[in-house]
Amino acid sequence: MGEKRPRSFYLLAAFFTAYVLFLYGPMFAIYILSFQGPDGGLTFPMNGVSLVWFGKVFSGSGIVDIGAAFKRSLQLGLVVMVCTVALSVSAGMAFRRSFRGATFLFYVAIASLIMPSIITSLGIALEFRLLDDFIIKSGVGDWTTAMGLFTSGLGAHLTWTLPFGLLIMFAIFNRFDNRLEEAARDLGATPWQTFRHVVLPIILPSVVGIGLFGFTLSWDELARSSQTIGSVNTLPLDLQGLTTTVTKPDIYALGTLTSAVSFLVIFLALVVILVLQARQRRHGSDAGKGMV
Amino acid sequence: MSKSSKFDRRISRRSVLKGAAGAVGLAAGSGAITGFPYVRSADAKVLRYLGTAVNEGDEISKKCLADTGIKIEYITATTDDVTKRVITQPNSFDVLDTEYFSLKKLVPSGNIFALDAKKIKEFDNITPVFTKGQLPTGKKIGDQGTAPWKVLYLEGANSKTFSKTPTEFVTLIPTVYNADTLGIRPDLIKRPISSWTELLNPEFKGKASILNIPSIGIMDAAMVVEASGQHTYADKGNMTKAEIDLTMKIMTEAKKAGQFRAFWKDFNESVNLMASGETVIQSMWSPAVTKVRSMGIACTFQPLKEGYRSWASGFCVSKAVSGPKLDWAYEFVNWYLSGWAGAYLNRQGYYSAVLSTAKANMTADEWGYWMEGKAAVGDIKAPDGTILEKAGATRDGGSYDERMGAVACWNAVMDENDYMVRKWNEFIAA
Amino acid sequence: MMLVFSLFFLLPLLLVTIVSAWDYNEYEMIPAFSMRGYSDTFEGCIADLPNLCTILKTYLKTLKLCLLTWVLTLLIGFTVAYFLAFHVRSKTWQIVLTLLCTIPFWTSNVIRMIAWIPLLGRNGLVNRGLEGAGLIHQPLEWLLFSEFSVVLALVHLFTFFMVVPIFNSMIRIDRRLIEAAYDAGATGWQTLVNIIIPLAKPGIVIGSIFVITIVMGDFVTIGVMGGQQIASAGKIIEARLNALQFPAAAANAVILLGITILIISALTRIVDIRKEL
Repeated sequence: MGEKRPRSFYLLAAFFTAYVLFLYGPMFAIYILSFQGPDGGLTFPMNGVSLVWFGKVFSGSGIVDIGAAFKRSLQLGLVVMVCTVALSVSAGMAFRRSFRGATFLFYVAIASLIMPSIITSLGIALEFRLLDDFIIKSGVGDWTTAMGLFTSGLGAHLTWTLPFGLLIMFAIFNRFDNRLEEAARDLGATPWQTFRHVVLPIILPSVVGIGLFGFTLSWDELARSSQTIGSVNTLPLDLQGLTTTVTKPDIYALGTLTSAVSFLVIFLALVVILVLQARQRRHGSDAGKGMV
Repeated sequence: MSKSSKFDRRISRRSVLKGAAGAVGLAAGSGAITGFPYVRSADAKVLRYLGTAVNEGDEISKKCLADTGIKIEYITATTDDVTKRVITQPNSFDVLDTEYFSLKKLVPSGNIFALDAKKIKEFDNITPVFTKGQLPTGKKIGDQGTAPWKVLYLEGANSKTFSKTPTEFVTLIPTVYNADTLGIRPDLIKRPISSWTELLNPEFKGKASILNIPSIGIMDAAMVVEASGQHTYADKGNMTKAEIDLTMKIMTEAKKAGQFRAFWKDFNESVNLMASGETVIQSMWSPAVTKVRSMGIACTFQPLKEGYRSWASGFCVSKAVSGPKLDWAYEFVNWYLSGWAGAYLNRQGYYSAVLSTAKANMTADEWGYWMEGKAAVGDIKAPDGTILEKAGATRDGGSYDERMGAVACWNAVMDENDYMVRKWNEFIAA
Repeated sequence: MMLVFSLFFLLPLLLVTIVSAWDYNEYEMIPAFSMRGYSDTFEGCIADLPNLCTILKTYLKTLKLCLLTWVLTLLIGFTVAYFLAFHVRSKTWQIVLTLLCTIPFWTSNVIRMIAWIPLLGRNGLVNRGLEGAGLIHQPLEWLLFSEFSVVLALVHLFTFFMVVPIFNSMIRIDRRLIEAAYDAGATGWQTLVNIIIPLAKPGIVIGSIFVITIVMGDFVTIGVMGGQQIASAGKIIEARLNALQFPAAAANAVILLGITILIISALTRIVDIRKEL
């Protein structure tokens, strides 16, 4: 670590900082405007400064229960995250050997990315409607619908996150050194042990990345959910629905809070990790497990 | 196959085939889920209410629960999404809040239940605007476009054809309606505005806006075209192909010249555009104008000499609803028309369908300001208690009779709708 | 994986394709075979020659936006990924910086879209700032509701989709190769062009697939940032859907799918991203 940073480091670091600033551009407007006065709107000018809107987020006044929607989206996002990681990693492993239908699956995944979300959404809705009709016809009494957050909604989200997960796995396994696995096998490891103790530690940071990616995609997904979510909305859908009426800066306050909490969590996690690493360094390092 | 792909199959089966149960189980394993009931108990009186947020007041659902014991669960979506969900997911809602013009599309889908007029207590007291196309005073109002009385009745309980004469089968019980016009920023325009032609006046280049819902946007456009004397339509709400071409040509020229800052799609966008000064003249909704004004920014809902473009919405019931749920739906609709909700809507600047019951729930001053065009005696407050107008103010456009009486056309779905949407896409691409 | 796709994508896709060949009238769709959804789309393409018809104009516009976005996201994404992969040395910091870039995405896009107005509008932060600095006297109109703002927002949203795969393929590059190159006397630039870029190609292609596919089908960003005045392939579909003309919308989607698949297969023809797994 001690060596001197080359000049290009500072140039690139500056570039990176600029990029981050750009990313946060609209967020600054959100942060500032969430302190809008009680009479203020969603745009400048500021109408006084207050914390009113933060209170509104917690008191939950308003048409839709933002808190409940937040929780629903979080749950869905986490489930999607788990499924995405599991399915992408296993599919990524499978793709390393060629198998029948590999090309087909690849293009299906790509097609799933291209298909405009609203159309996919519509297709899934049609499918479930046929299913519902079928169930009702076959005489199930009080049936309303099979659609819901964790059936059609989850499916719709997976058609969105899986192609990303899969393609990122391609990047991860690109030129992956097979000799490591061979060595493990030679030492008598079962395929599962090889995966668990050799492959997984190497790709772990990237897998964490996929999970994060999957969660973020699901968390922010709008169009695909619109026709498939049944009678409960996700957070983005509720927020979008809200824009059909008087929208107040409390949604900005929500944004500010989300960011603040994320920063806090990441900061704490960072501290914990650094402490753990320091301790590990004292007790002798274990290279593969540096990061979880 | 490798071990990992077995893992693959196991996960997919669990999470996908078993659907909710499997997925919740997975997440529960990750310690994230507190669990929430997906299927609710059949005993509670719950109605799923699909609509846009404009009409979904928190106070309304609370009051309804207190009065009738019916719990309203709002499903909030955008105007477009609401219509789509009726077609794609008729089982996901019980009561639908929608506009009359979309009925032309919703009724043929067979997902709308024909309500029995006899079960609606106040049906005979619904303002004749809906049933006969005239004011309570007997004055006829504009019937161009998809006027409510054209699509109010069905020929039979399972019919998909609209009846021209009153029957007992009602498609949509009206609740709320209004007469729309242009909103302007008088502080930035600094001169009187009196005609729809001003929307395309080059003076406001880059500062005008219209609604990006083709069915509504083209009506605004038609008002402008007619006002500028370029064409007189037989029925603005049912143009011929040639008329659509002409209207879109005029709009396209304006767009190419940079007349429009942006097209708005939802309530909130219209407020933001106006409040931030991005636009100074645009088609708008009454409560949006009120909202801009309550931020301390001057904004007028400008009455124009050519009249208003009107819209109306109300409740449909999904065909999937039956049994006790249907009774609750009737109970809910009856409650809605019984006055409290009507007064609530009137106080927002909309109009309620049954005027007599709403009047009984408003103070004389409120009624005078909102409905009779009188100067306010005291401060006029919104339903949530914030002050909307100071004492002495009068409503833009005046009384109910003046405003609704000057309606020129209604939001519409045309016979040539398919052609119109194609032309609209062309207009956007130009 | 296959199961998920067949249940939630292939079957719906099949239904959509069937619907795309249905007939429809002003109010409802009719389950009878018809190519009207397709033929209407290309209306006027021959009659209007030499002028471009709506659909071609729309696709050209979409491609143009797509190309601009692709170039910008690639340049920015590559640089950011390079920084993260080669200059940030500890995995912890790599993850922290990645998270830092992810946080803005956790505030719903619905909210972020609204926030562009107070940032770029006539009275927005940028215009205020520039006026305050005395650089301009009139607010810049083209900052918002223009092609500029569309591309800006797209780049803003999708650069990260480029960073992730490129970063992942860069950290797979053996450091010894780079050291060897330097030892052999290669300049930094030569190393970049001859070693890093070829080896990071799969990541670049994957990122490009992400960006191109999403931008081709996008209608929300283009709609909001273009003030609903800029056409895109996705927007046509949306307008059709909102008018409940499902067959026409479905037909348009099938066309879009065909065109984009062509672009992607051309890309993978150049670099087979599955070859070196």
